[in-house]
Amino acid sequence: MAPAIANGGDSGLVFNIQRFSVHDGPGIRTTVFLKGCPLRCLWCSNPESQDSHPVLMVRDINCKGCRACLPACPRGAIAFGAAGRTIDRSNCDNCLQCVAACLYDSLQRCGSRLTVQAVVAEVLQDRLFYKNSGGGVTLSGGEPLMQSRFAAAVMAACKQEGLHTALETSGQAPWEEMERVLAWADVILFDIKQLDAALHQRTTGVGNATILSNLRRAATVRPVWLRVPLIAGFNDAADHIRSVALLGKEIGAQKISLLPYHEGGRSKQNSLGRPYDFQEGKAPDEERLKLLKGLIEETGLPASIGS
Amino acid sequence: MESQTLSPEKLRKKVVSRGIRNIKRGTVDDDSKRGMFRPEIRLDLQRSRLMTESFKQTDGQPMVLRRARALANVLNKMGIFIREYERVVGYQTADPNGIYHPIDQNWKSPRRLANSEAGKSLLDAAGRKELDELCEYWKGKSMSDRHQAALPESLKPYWTYEGTFLWSQLSELGIPNYEKLFKVGLNGLIAEARQRIAEIGTTIPVDYVEQRNFLEAVIISLEAVIAFAGRYAALAQKTAAAETNAGRKRILEEIALTCGRVPAHPPQTFVEAIQFFYFIHLVRYLEYSTLGIGVRLDHLFGPYYENDLKAGRITREETLGILQLLWIKLNELGLVYSPTVSSVYGGVASLQAVTIGGTDENGKDVTNDLTYLTLEAAKSLKLIEPSIVLRIHEGTPEPVYAKAVEVIKTGIGYPSLFNDEALLPLYARWGVPADEARNYAVTGCVYIEIPGKNMMRRSCGYFVLPKCLWWALHQGVDPRTQAQHGARTPDPAGFRGWEDVLAAYAQQVTFFTTKIEQLERINLELYTEFCPRPFYSAVMDGCIETGKEARKWVYPSMVHHFLQVIGGTNVADAITAIRKVVFEDQRVTLPELIAIMDRNWEGREEIRQACLNAPKFGNDDDYADAIAAEVQARGEAAMEAVKDRYGYSHRGDGSAVSATYGLAQDTPATPDGRVDGEPFCDSTLAPAPGKDKKGPTAVLKSVSKISTVQTFNHLLNQKFLPRFLEEDLKPAFMGYLKTWKEMNIPHIQFNIVDRQTLIAAKAQPEKYSDLIVRVAGFSAYFVDLSAGLQDHIIARTEQNLT
Ligand code: SF4
Ligand code: SF4
Repeated sequence: MAPAIANGGDSGLVFNIQRFSVHDGPGIRTTVFLKGCPLRCLWCSNPESQDSHPVLMVRDINCKGCRACLPACPRGAIAFGAAGRTIDRSNCDNCLQCVAACLYDSLQRCGSRLTVQAVVAEVLQDRLFYKNSGGGVTLSGGEPLMQSRFAAAVMAACKQEGLHTALETSGQAPWEEMERVLAWADVILFDIKQLDAALHQRTTGVGNATILSNLRRAATVRPVWLRVPLIAGFNDAADHIRSVALLGKEIGAQKISLLPYHEGGRSKQNSLGRPYDFQEGKAPDEERLKLLKGLIEETGLPASIGS
Repeated sequence: MESQTLSPEKLRKKVVSRGIRNIKRGTVDDDSKRGMFRPEIRLDLQRSRLMTESFKQTDGQPMVLRRARALANVLNKMGIFIREYERVVGYQTADPNGIYHPIDQNWKSPRRLANSEAGKSLLDAAGRKELDELCEYWKGKSMSDRHQAALPESLKPYWTYEGTFLWSQLSELGIPNYEKLFKVGLNGLIAEARQRIAEIGTTIPVDYVEQRNFLEAVIISLEAVIAFAGRYAALAQKTAAAETNAGRKRILEEIALTCGRVPAHPPQTFVEAIQFFYFIHLVRYLEYSTLGIGVRLDHLFGPYYENDLKAGRITREETLGILQLLWIKLNELGLVYSPTVSSVYGGVASLQAVTIGGTDENGKDVTNDLTYLTLEAAKSLKLIEPSIVLRIHEGTPEPVYAKAVEVIKTGIGYPSLFNDEALLPLYARWGVPADEARNYAVTGCVYIEIPGKNMMRRSCGYFVLPKCLWWALHQGVDPRTQAQHGARTPDPAGFRGWEDVLAAYAQQVTFFTTKIEQLERINLELYTEFCPRPFYSAVMDGCIETGKEARKWVYPSMVHHFLQVIGGTNVADAITAIRKVVFEDQRVTLPELIAIMDRNWEGREEIRQACLNAPKFGNDDDYADAIAAEVQARGEAAMEAVKDRYGYSHRGDGSAVSATYGLAQDTPATPDGRVDGEPFCDSTLAPAPGKDKKGPTAVLKSVSKISTVQTFNHLLNQKFLPRFLEEDLKPAFMGYLKTWKEMNIPHIQFNIVDRQTLIAAKAQPEKYSDLIVRVAGFSAYFVDLSAGLQDHIIARTEQNLT
């Protein structure tokens, strides 16, 4: 097994730097996705972010069956049969030696260790766009607070460059870790999945006590946007959304975003060789979304769908 | 005046698209079984008939007078009509669904088309018979015949399209000086011509006879145009007399009055100005087959509108209605293209664009209410033409951006944005004085012109840059025939680095540009002698004053001829791949790579992948972008090294039309990993499809590294999901546009449509007959494109949102 990431400040494990993000805070942004997450949400749309080490992502659709990867695997995890190239995940230790052998992008690395300077250099590339659109940088994940020192260092460096900074978090972290990053964030995009603790535990693997207490504390020091990933039948009940809105109102959130569930996680789970056991996942229909948006707006809070 | 206006939906149904299907792809068939035109479209023979009739009568007279008399014969005798909803009148054919062809320029391809599967609905049996008879007269006399007969042996292999360039016979562009026309009317021009005749009658210049003939031809043409308008006035009068509906009667009476005044006299009202313009535009199309418009609509017509408004003669709504009627008129223009030329014009009708925004010659913003009304007219009608060019500059007001975004969002592919900040320095390098440059307009695609100053700016043809690279890698020798077709550049086995490849490429570009120029030189000499344009010369600056027809001289600061270059990104990526794979990683030698490409990568897929995985333009990666900047600048310099008959340089232009698809057929595999015949990158700046992995901001950054001033007026097409233009993301989109401007990128346009819609439209064309896509510098009905071109458009990267 690759070693778990340490929470150092100089470098961190990043699985994507997405330029031209327009749904993760105001304006045109660059979102830096950090690896590692304490939650295991059934509907996770970025399952490749969960592990705190680099993982092999497989895109079967790109595979040409050229067999170049076969000799590259030291563990004999790769095989060829009637179903084409298969990978025995129980035998694969994510050493990633096969990735370089594949010319067709069928075997990909997810997660690279990058220095703060490297990340900031990439972020600064789109500076002009941030200036003209009121955008900036967003740290997301995974859960960026799992690498809070690195996250804080990246945020601080961006702040020094005069960029607008946003932290996107599940809220599941010791308060000290959160505080460390908040110091440099202009806005927090705070995910609220479910107010019912038991249901939260059942679908994400953790309860919501820490999350809610962090939310209340964070809101006293920084502007907060609440984000609710919406899954039909799970958290889209009118009462639930009204409660979220009231909570938002109470803590002084600036707005609430409803993010309808999408199937993106399914294919990614497949690429990771994991079963996707959230068959019941469905987005609320348009009408319901409108209704929920209206419910939030009734409390006087602005609401948006999708961003 | 109260009018009976039709709703935009109803108006749209009045016009059948003249957009053509690209029935060929270079030298091979491409979906010709679906026909070149929509089935309702007819080839109208009246122009050919009347022209031929006149030419038979004027045999032996000076050509300039014969052309003027032929035009007059057409204008005097052609069938005219006024449709029941019209307020702006004039048709180029006797049939509302008609198109014409310039038999005097080329009779072979229309005849071939009319007798083929792809064009069989154009004519009935009697029509085909008449066409045959008419063609009989033009044998040996059409411009195409004359050109072919005049070609020396050395040029024949280059006249025939073989994949490197498609020399084009058709278009001369240019924009009449409407500002002047509106001041003096055609009567004013006639008076000028008479005065000039009187003057030379005393000074007797050495070319006295020639000048006199030309000036008389001018008078004949202009008087014919006035008489043509008079015929409409009479018809309107007659129809009005019989009309029982009071509202319609008033409109008909207005038409009668208007056509009685313009274009003879200066227009006094908005409607008169529009009608004046339309007569000139129409006759320009009837005199000579042409393309484009080019008027600065808000700047030119705004004052007439505002005067009418002040005087209470017109309302804002009514003005919108008149613009909509004009839009319908512009969609009635179209002509027949040859099957080979259709490869580059997939979906095109007449490539007409109008320009709005920008500054006056003193640098003052020209935005007025008509700027917004123009955008509104386009939005309400959603037609493929006219495309709208919006000039953006430092002082462009915020609401103009907002209105533009509103129209872009509909998915019609325009307005396309032109950046004054990037283009004005380019015109300065071209030698255009600053005040004239600030008055620039665009006729179609990204054809840039200075109104009144461009006599006969020509697109000399489509120039396939990757094929030049291919020749450079083969020392100009075609491996299949062993013929030395290109320049004898050095043996690639001796190349020491990518710079040597670039040098050989530049040499090939100059070599083929020279061939194009030689073809063009002979052609222009023949056109000057056999196809003068007295009417068009008269509406341009300087011709009447000097007594010279447009082709005999050029305005000192005119923006000159250009080549429509395609595949620049492929050349850049190819040279980058050679640098990486051959010279740095040393996976193969250059001769090995060439041999592998000559077998279309067969058996060496790993090398193709290595080439595909080399850095690519469009990712804000300096490794690839620096080479692209160099390739583009050197390519332009290589073209500019070749001078035309007037001493002006050939230049590139970004109007790739559909050639990136159509003309890619005849270029074998290239080192960027492209396989034999695969389409080239879209436009002149777009990254390779699917290779722009870092999204739209990185694309703009890469593009901004290509110097406009060192190259030319590029075209950049970007595709977004409709979602990105919705209200909540507007600040992001506006920020994107402003950054585009600050980065000095000359042009940008948008395709706002999702993939699913395109796929559905391809499968069920009947349900999507109105779906418009931006192909290159023009918009087209998706269903009018060949299946292959549809796939090419579907494959272009859709800028994803996260
Ligand atoms: S990552 Fe690749 S090489 Fe390593 S064990 Fe897994 S399959 Fe084998
Ligand atoms: S190297 Fe890549 S393309 Fe070839 S068989 Fe392995 S996974 Fe498939």
